[in-house]
Amino acid sequence: MTVGSLLIWALVIGLALYVTRAHPEAHGVRSARWLIIGGGVVFPTTVLTALLIYGLMLIPELRATGDIDRRIEVAGEQWWWRVRYPQENGEAVELANEIRLPLGERILFRLSSPDVIHSFWIPSLAGKVDMIPGRITELVVEPTRTGTFRGACAEYCGASHALMNFQVVVMEPDAYRDWLAHQATLARAPTAEQARRGQQAFLANGCGACHTVRGTPADGRLGPDLTHVGSRLGLGADALPNDREALIRWIGHTGEVKPDVRMPAFGMLPVDELAALAAYLSELE
Amino acid sequence: MTDSATEPFDPDDRERQKAQEQRLRKPWEVPRGWRYWSAVNNSDVGLWYTTVAFVFFLFAGVLALLMRTQLAVPENDFLSADTYNQAFTLHGSVMMFLFGVPIFEAFSILILPQLLGARDLPFPRLSAYGFWCFVIGGIFVCGSIFFGAAPQGGWFMYPPLTTSYSEGIGPDVWLLGLSFIEIASLAAAVELIVGVLKTRPPGMRINLIPLYAWYILVVAVMILFAFPPLIAGDLLFEMERAFDWPFFDHTRGGDPLLWQHLFWIFGHPEVYIIFLPAIALVAMIVPTAAQRPIVGYGWIVLAAVGTGFISFGLWVHHMFTTGMPGISLAFFSAASEAVAIPTGVQIFCFLATALAGRFVKSVPTLFVSGALAIFVLGGLTGVMVAVAPFDFQAHDTYFVVAHLHYVLIGGMLFPVAAGIYYFYPLTNGKQMSERSGKWAFWLMFVGFNVAFLPMHFTGLLGMPRRVYTYPAGMGLDLLNLVSTVGAFVFAAGVLILLFEVVRPKKNEPYSPRNPWSAGTLEWLAKMPDESWGVRSIPLIKSRYPLWDQPNLMADVDAGRFYLPDAEEGQRETLITSTIDGRPMQCLRVPGPTFQTLWAAIFTGGAFIFPVYHLYLPALVCAVLAGFAILGWLWTGTAMIPEKPQKDVGLGLTLPLYASGPKSVGWWAMFITMIGDMSAFASLVFGYFFFWTVHDDFLPGPAAGPGLLWPAIAAGLGLGAWALTLLARHCNRRDQVLGFYLSLALAALLTVACSVALFAGPHLSGLDPTTHVYPATVWVLVLWTLLHLGAALIMLLYCVARRAAGRMTAEYDIDMQNVGLYWHFMAITLVVTVAVIGGFPRVA
Amino acid sequence: MNERNDDLPDEELEAPPARWGSLWLLTFGPGIWAIHFLLCYVTAAVWCAKVAGRTGLLGDASLLVGLYTLVALVGIGLTGWRGYRQHRFGHADPPHDFDTAEDRYRFLGYSTLLLSGLSFVATLFVALSVVFIETCE
Repeated sequence: MTVGSLLIWALVIGLALYVTRAHPEAHGVRSARWLIIGGGVVFPTTVLTALLIYGLMLIPELRATGDIDRRIEVAGEQWWWRVRYPQENGEAVELANEIRLPLGERILFRLSSPDVIHSFWIPSLAGKVDMIPGRITELVVEPTRTGTFRGACAEYCGASHALMNFQVVVMEPDAYRDWLAHQATLARAPTAEQARRGQQAFLANGCGACHTVRGTPADGRLGPDLTHVGSRLGLGADALPNDREALIRWIGHTGEVKPDVRMPAFGMLPVDELAALAAYLSELE
Repeated sequence: MTDSATEPFDPDDRERQKAQEQRLRKPWEVPRGWRYWSAVNNSDVGLWYTTVAFVFFLFAGVLALLMRTQLAVPENDFLSADTYNQAFTLHGSVMMFLFGVPIFEAFSILILPQLLGARDLPFPRLSAYGFWCFVIGGIFVCGSIFFGAAPQGGWFMYPPLTTSYSEGIGPDVWLLGLSFIEIASLAAAVELIVGVLKTRPPGMRINLIPLYAWYILVVAVMILFAFPPLIAGDLLFEMERAFDWPFFDHTRGGDPLLWQHLFWIFGHPEVYIIFLPAIALVAMIVPTAAQRPIVGYGWIVLAAVGTGFISFGLWVHHMFTTGMPGISLAFFSAASEAVAIPTGVQIFCFLATALAGRFVKSVPTLFVSGALAIFVLGGLTGVMVAVAPFDFQAHDTYFVVAHLHYVLIGGMLFPVAAGIYYFYPLTNGKQMSERSGKWAFWLMFVGFNVAFLPMHFTGLLGMPRRVYTYPAGMGLDLLNLVSTVGAFVFAAGVLILLFEVVRPKKNEPYSPRNPWSAGTLEWLAKMPDESWGVRSIPLIKSRYPLWDQPNLMADVDAGRFYLPDAEEGQRETLITSTIDGRPMQCLRVPGPTFQTLWAAIFTGGAFIFPVYHLYLPALVCAVLAGFAILGWLWTGTAMIPEKPQKDVGLGLTLPLYASGPKSVGWWAMFITMIGDMSAFASLVFGYFFFWTVHDDFLPGPAAGPGLLWPAIAAGLGLGAWALTLLARHCNRRDQVLGFYLSLALAALLTVACSVALFAGPHLSGLDPTTHVYPATVWVLVLWTLLHLGAALIMLLYCVARRAAGRMTAEYDIDMQNVGLYWHFMAITLVVTVAVIGGFPRVA
Repeated sequence: MNERNDDLPDEELEAPPARWGSLWLLTFGPGIWAIHFLLCYVTAAVWCAKVAGRTGLLGDASLLVGLYTLVALVGIGLTGWRGYRQHRFGHADPPHDFDTAEDRYRFLGYSTLLLSGLSFVATLFVALSVVFIETCE
């Protein structure tokens, strides 16, 4: 399509240069009439008909969703992604801001939004589909190579639209199964002393009102699930890399990293408490 | 010219001409001093309009440079997210609403009368009113960013982000400020349609009109059908923002997609509303450059009319990713491909004309060539994004940003630049420098491509649009930096162009007349021109009269055609028949006034105060605006002439007054009401949209407004309609008692009808804030009530006109127009009643 | 253009009345396209929302679209034929730019013919959709 476009462009521009520069003198009106009919009518109509048929033939395949078993539910929220992997037992593993997919399977994404319109887009794997409040939209993805890809929100959704991204990891099917099984488990208890203090701080500062860490009293549903946050590739919907320093920055200066974000900044906490929180969270692998 | 060219050119004749010129100059004089701003001459209003549109263009351009600076390097903090989001929202909105569309209205007000050899447009005060609305609304919208209060939802303002998730007044500034300007656009559309159809010179049949006029006709009609859906959408939107009527709130049955439909039913035609007039400029410049008539006149008319229609079947291609059924995508994909055919035809007509003629190079043709190179590429990427599967990738990315700028800058800004160079001598008699024109062109052309070509790649690499920052190391860094450099080079070119426009040229000689040896009537203008426009209105026999009609310019100058004189000291122009351009009437047009400025100021107040929830001042302003408009109508329209007809020259005597379908006022009313109907149809569409997509939309017949009260309202309203028509009839027959009685009764029935219509939803306790169903019913009722209110005022106005002796049995424009309004009023009422009362029973 | 112009008398001989050449005829072709387009869209939307459901077959809706298309194409064809006859009135070739009622009449016919051609293709494009798409998905 791109090559075709460039060819047509070159033809038209060549013609324009020919008539205005190379041979500006008058040619016959008859040839001018044929130019309109040939170049302006017959040629475009033929090309457009072919292109239309090609485009129409692609649509049914992209849309067929009936026979797909593996589903992933993603909700876009200002400005992060709630990801749920439905299990065979009817329950679902809820994660956030990172999506893993098994290689070579057709996967049906069921997309929704509780607040504003977002658009779910993994450029390397598929086209985008909007997430619209009050509706569920669907997208079929079939990854054909392993690797890590970037996803983004494509519909402007407020102040931090630019920072609403995610990582997609395509894995071998076996590795994927193991990963999902691990993600379904409860959070592991903190081992290091600093991390234990971090867990106390986490609960004491009310983080659990918004965040869930499965297996602990923290069971808030407003923000992302943090049960295995340490295993993720990025923080704050891929606004920062996932390491301790970034965690400290995120917790202490949330609004500076991500304008207008819902989570309040905890910059008033003592430095060592922030470090403890970071230690606790990065241990949640 | 044949008949008058034989007259001897003796000294007496010269004396007589001098006297004529003096008499003609007097009424067309532009006021001086501070009163200058009361002028309504198309040449002045058009120039102000163009200038102000360019000021807004510069403002939006500066915003673009700020954005490009922010994006020059990854993770930049030159602008905050908040400021950036305001900047891109205003950039888009201003370019579209305050530059793209108005510049064509401005240009057309400026040159259309000249092109048609008319003295002025038929409603000069309407142009002035539109202009003042545009200035006030534009300053209000642009100014908001200096208070950090600008909208930040993107130029298409998708709810619910902008309804339930925006603090502050940004969205209200956008909605009310721009609705106000949309009304100005509609005013211009009415003016231009009537202008093209009725103020052509005698003999200019429909097959001879300049192509520019064809395009303007098509575009103005498109405005009539494209802007009202947006106005209807704005109404729903503002009702939700201000009064919590849940049209777009899914938790109460609303649907954010309704806004997208209404917005894009407007938004896609709008692209063509911007593009076609620019192509119209090209259609004037290319034949001049080729020094021969256009090849394929009929094909171009096909292209203009065809594009006008098909552009209304494209709107969903902006919504391809909303998860609609594949079949819907297919329909719109098909129309999106089809629209490329007429676009291609136009381009090949221009190429064919260049081929058939001897092409003369100049700065305007340089810009036209640049436009071609850029636009064709934009058109081709447009064909690509019309293929739905490709659009799933490209949608909402920098690829689309690149595409739309190629289309709009190639399809609009470059032709406008060509038009500025080409038509500049018409504004002040001077020519622009060729050297600086070449500099401006090459800087703009190179800068543009350097800025926007890389965006195709950044988009395909995964950069969404409307991001205030992007991470390093994704392959976007260099491409973005290049784009930023290009943007500044482009801006430098624009600056040179603008400097050349405003540079004082006092010491330069005046341009020769018709400097490009063009063939169309606007080049009759003297350098510098007189404010009367054309010395006498010529008889036209060709598409290119200056080429084909020998001695035309001299005959026009000698006043050997129509209306060479102004014996009564009035502003006059000719009205001709739509198809064959037969002279029908000598129209008196009104002169300078401040009334339009006051009307615009108060209308502005009525739109701007609600932004701050100051409803009482808003209401006061609305009432004052109503009085200002009534005063303007009372003193400036439907004036009874001192004699029934006059000799307009060449032995032709024409009436000075016409009413009914023969009058321009009737046409204006008709056209306005067509626009009004399309807004109403959009509201009705909303009702059925909700019904289609939400199974629980209708709560069951019992919970609606019922059938009884709506049916009573319909009966009363139809009675008022019949009585209005009876009053018109009585007035014609001079049956004074019958006239007053039927009008009084009609007014009473109108009031009763309003009460009954209100009673339906009111008595059944429909609360518009609870669910979208009552809200939709109420908005239809509200719409109809507003129209009934206007109808009542019109009825009383007719009573007053007759009582004051300003309307008689013979001179009855007012009554005719009110009768026409009532036809549409009856349709609105019946449809409303059928929908709110009848449909729940059928469904 | 000029010399030909002089060959013809300025007076209008056998002028067809202005109503024949009404401007409205121009809009018939694209108007039919627009109605066809809207009907197809509304039929499919209502069918998928109210009858077949999100994953249902288009079935009868396709037939309806086919029917609309047939009617529309006949309508556009007739308009085009009318335009062609107007265009061929007397003996003259485009560009129909004489200052005569005949040429005005021919010009409107010619433009109607061209617009009908465009509308014909555009209508076929829309109808192609139901050839390739069979479900509401």
